[in-house]
Amino acid sequence: MGEVSAVRNARIVFGKDQECRYISHLDLNRVMLRAVQKSGLNIWRTEGFNTHPYITFALPLSLGYVSRCETMDFRLLDDDEDMDAVPAMLNACLPAGIRVYSCCDAVHKPADITAAVYTVELSVSPDADAAVDLYPAMTSFLSLSSVMVEKKTKKGMKTVDLRPLILDCTAERCDGGVRLTMTLPAGPSENINPSLFVTAFSAYCRTELYSVITREKILIKDGEPFV
Amino acid sequence: MYPKEVEHFLMKVQKPGRYVGGELGAVVKDRSAVDTRFAFCFPDTYEVGMSHLGIKILYSQFNERDYLWCERVFAPWIDMEEQMRAHGVPLYALESGDALSAFDFIGFTLQYELSFTNMLNMLSLGGVPVLARDRHELFNIVVAGGPCACNPEPIADFVDIFFLGEGEEVDLEVIELYRRCRSEGVSKDEFLRRASHIRGVYVPALYDVSYHDDGTIAAVTPLCGAPERVEKRLMMNMDKSYYPSRFVVPNIEIIHDRAVEEIFRGCIRGCRFCQAGFLYRPVREKSVSVISDQCHTLCRNTGYDEVSLSSLSSSDYSDIVPMLTELSDWAERENVSLSLPSLRVDGFSDDILSRLTTVRKSGLTFAPEAGSQRLRDAINKNVTEDELIGTCSVAFAGGYSTVKLYFMIGLPTETMDDVADIANLAQKVVNTFYATENRARGKSVRVTASASSFVPKPFTPFQWEPQDTVEMLQDKQRHIKAHIHSRKISYSYHDSDTSFLEAVFARGDRKLCRAMLLAHERGIRFDSWGDCFSLSAWMKVFDDCGIDPAFYANRRRSFDEILPWDHLDYGITKEFLIRECRRAYESRTTPHCREQCAGCGAMRYGGGVCCEER
Repeated sequence: MGEVSAVRNARIVFGKDQECRYISHLDLNRVMLRAVQKSGLNIWRTEGFNTHPYITFALPLSLGYVSRCETMDFRLLDDDEDMDAVPAMLNACLPAGIRVYSCCDAVHKPADITAAVYTVELSVSPDADAAVDLYPAMTSFLSLSSVMVEKKTKKGMKTVDLRPLILDCTAERCDGGVRLTMTLPAGPSENINPSLFVTAFSAYCRTELYSVITREKILIKDGEPFV
Repeated sequence: MYPKEVEHFLMKVQKPGRYVGGELGAVVKDRSAVDTRFAFCFPDTYEVGMSHLGIKILYSQFNERDYLWCERVFAPWIDMEEQMRAHGVPLYALESGDALSAFDFIGFTLQYELSFTNMLNMLSLGGVPVLARDRHELFNIVVAGGPCACNPEPIADFVDIFFLGEGEEVDLEVIELYRRCRSEGVSKDEFLRRASHIRGVYVPALYDVSYHDDGTIAAVTPLCGAPERVEKRLMMNMDKSYYPSRFVVPNIEIIHDRAVEEIFRGCIRGCRFCQAGFLYRPVREKSVSVISDQCHTLCRNTGYDEVSLSSLSSSDYSDIVPMLTELSDWAERENVSLSLPSLRVDGFSDDILSRLTTVRKSGLTFAPEAGSQRLRDAINKNVTEDELIGTCSVAFAGGYSTVKLYFMIGLPTETMDDVADIANLAQKVVNTFYATENRARGKSVRVTASASSFVPKPFTPFQWEPQDTVEMLQDKQRHIKAHIHSRKISYSYHDSDTSFLEAVFARGDRKLCRAMLLAHERGIRFDSWGDCFSLSAWMKVFDDCGIDPAFYANRRRSFDEILPWDHLDYGITKEFLIRECRRAYESRTTPHCREQCAGCGAMRYGGGVCCEER
C-alpha cells in the first residue's frame, strides 16, 4: 500500500429498490465490495490475512424493504479523488436496483442515530379470506392506548408495548389500502422494525396483509437528518 | 424482471433473491427486436445453476446475436413452487418474467442424473407439455446438453433434441435451422429430421429401440434417414473458442461466487472410473496469454477479486508455472487472488503454492480414490502412496494442518482389504504430521476421509460393471469405520441410496421414461437434495411400472451386449474401453496421454494433446 497524504471519511447515500429489495444485508455487503473493486476507487483496505476494502453500513435494512436513505462509509485514500464523481463511478458497477445519490464527508457517527422514518403501504393480501376496509381499522388501531407485541431480542422473546414507541404516525387512504408515514426508534440503543407494527395490525384486523415498507429518512437527535 | 404478482408471496419464501433477476450483467432485450427466444434452464436451484460455467459461456454467446435473446431459468425451491402453484404463476425466465411456454427453445443442461425429475417439473411448472409427442408445433422445442446427454435414453421421451459434446457451435446451427424452417413454414417433424443431419445432434424420436426377452437391447434402428451413429461436437482451438468477457454477477451468494477461467478441456489421465476424462477427449489447452487476458477482463467487468483456474486437473496444465507467473503480475497489483481447484497429489509443488496468492490456509484436499496401491492401479489413478505422503509432509511443513482425502468404495475388483486400507492411509497421513519436523506447533492435525459410492458410467472402461448393492456399500462403510482408531480422523460417507438411483439412470434405457413420468406425476423432484430424496418412493414407482432397478444398477453386462448409448459416438472406441477394462482386472496402469498414446480413438480429431510433441 502506497503512502497517502490524507484519508477522507466518505459516506455515500444510496437507494435500494426493485429486484435489490430482496438482497439481504450480508449479500448487500458483497455486492458493494464487488462494485468498489470494479470501480477502481482507491479506498482503505483491511490489513489482515484476508485483506478487503473496508466498508461499513450505518443501519442495516431488513430484507424486502425499499430504502431511499441507506448509507455506506469508507475511507477514501486519494485526497484528490473528486467526491462528486463517486456516485457515477459506483453506479456504473452496481445492479440497477441500487443507485448511489451522493457522496460527502461523513459528518455524524452511526452511534448518533436515534430514529428512522418509514412509509408503510398496506393492502389486503390476495391470500386473505375476505376484503376489509383497512383505513377505518387503522384509525381505531392507532387510537389504542397500548399495543402489546412479541419482539425477538438477543435474550429471547420479550413482550413490549409498541404504542409509546411510535414516535409519530399519520395514515391516509391509498390505492387498495392505507399508507402510513411513521417514525420509529432506530440506532444502537433501541430499534423497532415496522414489520412488528404490521404484524400487530394484521392480528388486530384479523386479515392477512401485503406490505411495502420504505425507509425514507434516518434521523439523529432532535429530528435532524443523519448525514 | 419478475412478474408483478410474485411480490405478494416472495417474502414468504426462503432467499427471495433467487427469483427476481436484475443482476449486474443480466441481458435484457426488447421482445419486439428479437425473433427467437431461448430459455436456458438449469434443473436445480439458482445458487447451483449460477455457479455453472457452461451456462455463462452460452448465455453470453447467444446474446451477442441481435436476433436471439437467451434468458435464465432455475428450478424454484419447494417453498416457492408451492406458492407459484397456489397462485397460478407459471415458471418464468429471470430477464423478461415471461413463462417458459413463451419461448422458441427451452434448453436444459444435464449435469447429473438426479436432476432429471427437475427438468420434467420445470416444464410442467412452465406450462409446457412434458412429453415431446404432446408438443406438436414448431415452437417450445425442448433441447438438452451436458454430460448426461451421453446416455439420454431415460429421458428420450421428453426431449426433442440432444446436443452431444460441446455446445458453442452446434446450438447456434440448430437455432439458425429453426429460423429457416419457421420462415419456410415446415413442420416440427421436418425440422427435427433436418436437424438430425447436423453433427452433434441426436433426435431420439428418430430411433426405434427393440428389446430381447431378457430386457437387453436387440437393435437401435434409425428412422427417416437419421444417421446410424451420432458424433459429438468439440471445439478444437480453445484460444479461438468463444469465452465471455463478463458474467451475470449474482446479487445473492452462490456456491462458486468468483470468476472462473477454463484453462483447458479434457484430461490426460484416463482414470478408469471418470466419465469426464473420456467424454472430453482430447485435451485442448488455452495459451498462457489468452488465459491471462480473459481472466483480467473478467475481473475488471465483474468486480470479482478471486479467479478460479478451472479444468479437470489443473496441475496438468503444461505451462503451469509461467501461467501463474503471468497472472500474478497483475493479480497482486489489483488485489485479485488465484485459486487452483482439482490439484493432483503429484502436481502439488512449492513453486505452484507460492504463486497462489490466496493466503487463507484453509486446508488441502486430495483424492487418492482408493486405499491400496493395487486398487489405485486397477482404476488407473496413477498416484503412489509415497507421493501422497511426500505431498502431505510438504504441506504440513508449510503450515497446513488439515487434509481432506476423497475415496470411493464399490470400485471394480475391490476387496475388504482394499476398503480397510482407506482407514490405514488416513492413519499414515496423521502419522506423517507428527513426523514432520517443522509442522505448525500448538495445532492438532485433522484428517477427513470421505467415501462416496462408485457409480459405473457410460463411456468409461467400467461401463459394463455391476454397482455394489446398497447392502454391500453399507457393509464397506462400516468396515472403514471399524478400522479407524484415531480421533484425529473424521470419517464421512455419501448416502448409498442416492448413488443407487444415480446408477439406475446413468446406464438406463428408454423403458425408464415411464418411471420418470410416473415419478414426476407423483411430485418427485430434487432427488439430489437430501431433504427431498426418497428411495422408497422411487422403489414404489419402479414396482408400479414393472421395472427392476437392479437390472440397470447391479447387473454385469457382457462386452457384446448392445448398450443403450452405443449409437452415440464420443470419439473413443469401444475396443479401447474393453482393453482398459481388461487391464483394470490385471491391476495394470496405462500411461497418461503425454507419456504415451493409449490409442483411445480421439486422435481422429487431429488436434490437442494427440498432436503435441512427446
